[in-house]
Amino acid sequence: MAVIRTEKICKVYNPDTIPVHALKDVSIQVEKGEFTSLVGPSGSGKTTLLNMLGALDMPSSGKSFIGDVEVTKLSDKERINFRLHNIGFVFQHYNLIPVFTARENVSFIMMLQGVAQKELLERADELLESVGLGDRKDARPHELSGGQQQRVAVARALASKPRFILADEPTANLDTKAAMNLLDIMEKMNEEQKVTFVFSTHDQRVIKRARRVVTLVDGAVHSDKTTTPDNTVKE
Amino acid sequence: MKTLFKLAWRSLWRNKRRTLITISALIFAVVASVFMQSINRGSHEMIVDNMTRFQTGYLQIQDYRFENEPSLDNSFYYDGDLERELLEQDDRITFVLPRIETFMLAADEQTTRGGFVFGVDLEKEHQFNGLKDRLVNGRFFDDRERGVVLSQGFSDRLGLSVSDTIALIGQGRFGMSASGLYEIVGIMDHPLPDMNSRTIYMPLETARELLSAEDKVTSLLIGMDSDRHTDAVAANIGHFLEGSELRVFTWPELIPELLELLEFDLVGAYLMSYILYIVIAFGFFGTILTMTLERIKEFGILISVGMARLKLAFTLFLEVFIIGLLGVIAGVVFAWLLLYYFYLYPIELTGELAETVIDMGWAPVLPMSFAPDQFYTQAVIVFFIAILIAVYPMYRVIRLDVISASRS
Repeated sequence: MAVIRTEKICKVYNPDTIPVHALKDVSIQVEKGEFTSLVGPSGSGKTTLLNMLGALDMPSSGKSFIGDVEVTKLSDKERINFRLHNIGFVFQHYNLIPVFTARENVSFIMMLQGVAQKELLERADELLESVGLGDRKDARPHELSGGQQQRVAVARALASKPRFILADEPTANLDTKAAMNLLDIMEKMNEEQKVTFVFSTHDQRVIKRARRVVTLVDGAVHSDKTTTPDNTVKE
Repeated sequence: MKTLFKLAWRSLWRNKRRTLITISALIFAVVASVFMQSINRGSHEMIVDNMTRFQTGYLQIQDYRFENEPSLDNSFYYDGDLERELLEQDDRITFVLPRIETFMLAADEQTTRGGFVFGVDLEKEHQFNGLKDRLVNGRFFDDRERGVVLSQGFSDRLGLSVSDTIALIGQGRFGMSASGLYEIVGIMDHPLPDMNSRTIYMPLETARELLSAEDKVTSLLIGMDSDRHTDAVAANIGHFLEGSELRVFTWPELIPELLELLEFDLVGAYLMSYILYIVIAFGFFGTILTMTLERIKEFGILISVGMARLKLAFTLFLEVFIIGLLGVIAGVVFAWLLLYYFYLYPIELTGELAETVIDMGWAPVLPMSFAPDQFYTQAVIVFFIAILIAVYPMYRVIRLDVISASRS
């Protein structure tokens, strides 16, 4: 079963005044273990689609499924709880809690899930080790570089053991070295732990390493290309 | 819960200066409101205290007719038996203070003035109100001595001083003529300005003799271990007096006009307090509004990653709760220290203001009340205002549009 599936979702802003069609009949499916990029020019609907996939926003029409749950039928409260247990988020501006240390940021999500104190601390330490920040776990966000903060954000996204991770322009604010380092970590998690990643990005460095690239133009899927392990491209 | 508290606590100190200023504003609110209350209540307490100690007592027994017709004809028999029976009614009664009082004309060779004559048991009176300490000249009389002590204002009005003789003329019990010459043995400063201009103290037995009222008193004041027990002791005495011609009155029943006047006087103070509360509420709301608006994106992110709106709202409530609690506790401490200083060293009024206050019948000082309830009442009001303002950030979070907040 697909991890994410959308059926002809549309999103219209200002339907009663000057309607803006941000998404037009978008139907895509993301399988477990995919490393997918949503690309396209500004205003093409990447972020809107990412918000739909993450159950942050509701489509004007169409359906959206995560696993076998139709998230478009959930209430706001149910969607928040669903996100907590099923989706990891990585944001362009890291968006860590500034008053918490790296370890507390990672364990915070598990605390919301109700994970036992001992277990959540152990897992937070493991995750920070896995993103190469085992020695910076007591640092607060302002004491970390942008690349380090984004790695903490990845560890935080993984903390809840989500079905997939949505990353909105994760490398946009990083220099090349930090971006490559982050991509290495995410690629490794994708290959070794079969973590599913969906990015929205402009960044060619990300696009080049994605195994599936979905291109949006004017709110519609323009192309959907998958690179197989033997480097052949399927449309 | 621990993590939410940690989040709230650390978020508070994200901007230390602002948090400290906010707490300071709350401290100021508590101190200012307690201070204003204390000044007003202090004056009132002093007036009531003097009224009760030198006039009515906290509890007073009278003949039931005396209230409407305060005449010696409505005095009543008092002896050791009644005193003992009263003391047995309630453990909290510490003594029974007999008084006989009436209006008489007082004259020297050229001037005649009206005044109140109080026949008192000096030792008991001193025990109750420290009468002897108010002596400014001469001495107090001995039992049965034909000597009187005049209040200072009255002696000034008559132009008399210690060792002079005063003539008292009036009506005794059942229309008997009452008159006599008495030596002024002392001058005292009466704490009630109105009474200071017309009071004459003399020994109880001497007064009885003058007024043809042997073994009689017009009132019995009941001394208690604490005035907080007034109502309870009054109830017990009331039961004891059932079926007799005597009635027990509490001090609010004896001076209702004064209480109304004091309550009216408090209106201005309440108005000032309300204005202060409004100013503080708007100031506090401004800070909370800023704290909320500058973190809208953060709230959006927290909800995005799965933090329930109610949990987030609770965290914000905790922040306001902590600020409120710190401000109020510190405010009470500062207010207590400030009031304690002024309680020990009351502010004395001088010049025209002092004269005006004296003309109004009050003492020219700003006594501070130290009543505990004014601390917690003001603290609770300021804390309630703070908590009420917490509704705003909670409402914002509950209604927050996650998408637009995350983009802000």
